[in-house]
Amino acid sequence: MKTNLRLFGLVIAGCMMAAVPTHVSATVSDADFNALKELVQQMNGKLQSLEQTNQLAQQTIQQLQQQLSETKEIATNAEQKSIEAAQAQPQSRQPIDEATVNHNFMILGDAEFQYTKSAGQHGGFVQADFAPIFLYRGGDNILFEVGFDTALQNGSAPTPSDPTVNHDAGSSTSFDLSFAQLDYVMNDYMTLCAGDLLLPLGTYTQRGAGWLNKMPDDPLAVDALIPGSGIGAELQGAFPLGDSGKLLNYAVYAVNGPSSMDGTGSANQLDLGGNVGIRSDGTTANLHGNPTGGARFGVFLPFKPHYDLELGISGQTGEWDDAGNHLYTAGVFDATLHLGPSFEAKGEYIVSRYGSDDMGNIHQQGWFAQAGYKLAGLNLELPVINNTELVGRIDSLHDGMGTSTQRYTAGFIYYFTNTLLFEGDYEFLHSNDPSQVGQLIMQLSYGF
Amino acid sequence: MNASKQLKTLIRTTFATLASLVMIGGLASNLYSAEPSAAASPPNTDTSSPTNSLAVVTKAPEAQPAAVRKQLTGAELYSMHCNRCHPERYPTERTAAQWKTIMLHMQVRANIPVGQSKLILQYLQDNSGR
Repeated sequence: MKTNLRLFGLVIAGCMMAAVPTHVSATVSDADFNALKELVQQMNGKLQSLEQTNQLAQQTIQQLQQQLSETKEIATNAEQKSIEAAQAQPQSRQPIDEATVNHNFMILGDAEFQYTKSAGQHGGFVQADFAPIFLYRGGDNILFEVGFDTALQNGSAPTPSDPTVNHDAGSSTSFDLSFAQLDYVMNDYMTLCAGDLLLPLGTYTQRGAGWLNKMPDDPLAVDALIPGSGIGAELQGAFPLGDSGKLLNYAVYAVNGPSSMDGTGSANQLDLGGNVGIRSDGTTANLHGNPTGGARFGVFLPFKPHYDLELGISGQTGEWDDAGNHLYTAGVFDATLHLGPSFEAKGEYIVSRYGSDDMGNIHQQGWFAQAGYKLAGLNLELPVINNTELVGRIDSLHDGMGTSTQRYTAGFIYYFTNTLLFEGDYEFLHSNDPSQVGQLIMQLSYGF
Repeated sequence: MNASKQLKTLIRTTFATLASLVMIGGLASNLYSAEPSAAASPPNTDTSSPTNSLAVVTKAPEAQPAAVRKQLTGAELYSMHCNRCHPERYPTERTAAQWKTIMLHMQVRANIPVGQSKLILQYLQDNSGR
């Protein structure tokens, strides 16, 4: 634009000069005239060049406009064709982002293979255990989880009357339901669980399955004094205490609870597992009174990652016998300590009391304390040592009827991977029950 | 018979003493070597991990100064909670969808608040294998 103005000015100046009267032109020298003439010629040349450029630009714009209109037409045709194609054919399946799938089914669990040599007895491979957990998640808040325990056992021996009985190892199989519960996350601080629940009496029952346990067998008191699971409903949740990770946990539940033993003449014998379902006499009535109630309250105090202390107190009480005359009551105090990724210690103190027809109230108590130290914490960087953990446990049981047992367990865990473990333990036992003897246990465990 | 009992007692005592010494010594060295800066570090997933010989590389979030940090990260919560019950499982072991199901299971089993569970899940999914 500026160039055009300049050229226009120059042309006007030239015209004005051409219109100057004769007496003025007479004063212009030939040299100035020639210079001015040359300048005008140059201006004319530039003007013609600009006009040509302008014509080329106009042609280019016209071509672009034509191409644009053609492109628009092509796009319109393509859109029309795609609409027609979509109407003519079914919608093709879109690839699914797996992480956003609304439901998911998967299997977790563990497997154990065990060799045991008890004092005074022949040693042998006594267990091949497969314990899958099936998980079905429906949406963000609903989970159904069921755990089974399948163990292979020796088959029956051939008898003179039936010599054809198969005696292959593993031909007999036990198949138990460990738990089956539906979990519904109601809000950030409350979850409803219903079904066959792993009871929060202490923490061992819920966190001691197979490869999670640092010992190949359960503490005496856990097996003898409290039920492992119960059929009923539970509300549980946790409240954060500040921003450092501290938690206040709670669980409140009602389950069928312990009952009298199933079978003729066993009504006065306590069965911690309870009896629900078809009884030995073919009926489905329960062998106990009203449902049992229980609760656990705990606090989790992390100092920093891998350093934490967890304390909990729990209890359960309810009628256990068919007539509803006797109560079963249990209380558990539990503690777990982690000091770094290499050290863990945990223990539980358990008391229970139940009424009986002929012995009054029977008071039982027991406890266990166990610790493990991963030698990787020594930073020796030795391949075998680095994957080894030393473990030890002391546990005790008083059954309230005169039998006392103390057990000292020492052993190791070798980690092939973080979920494939080889455990070796020896249990020293002191008991006034002569059938209780020490034993060597070796176990291969795998968690998946 | 008495000699046999004495021998057994001696073996037990020696074993228990040795095991205790190793544990106490290791614990003391562990406590001595623990520095405050380790608190903000992500979980150890290299080959020197005491629970695994597998080499796993994860995208661990950068540590923040303690003075400006207001909320624990998913990596820190993962280190706090998973180790409560079992050796840590590495994020690369599962897919993002599998972690979603597993975390719901663990949320119930370990009684973890929903907010913390979501942060752990985010960490696991961000570093998941597929």
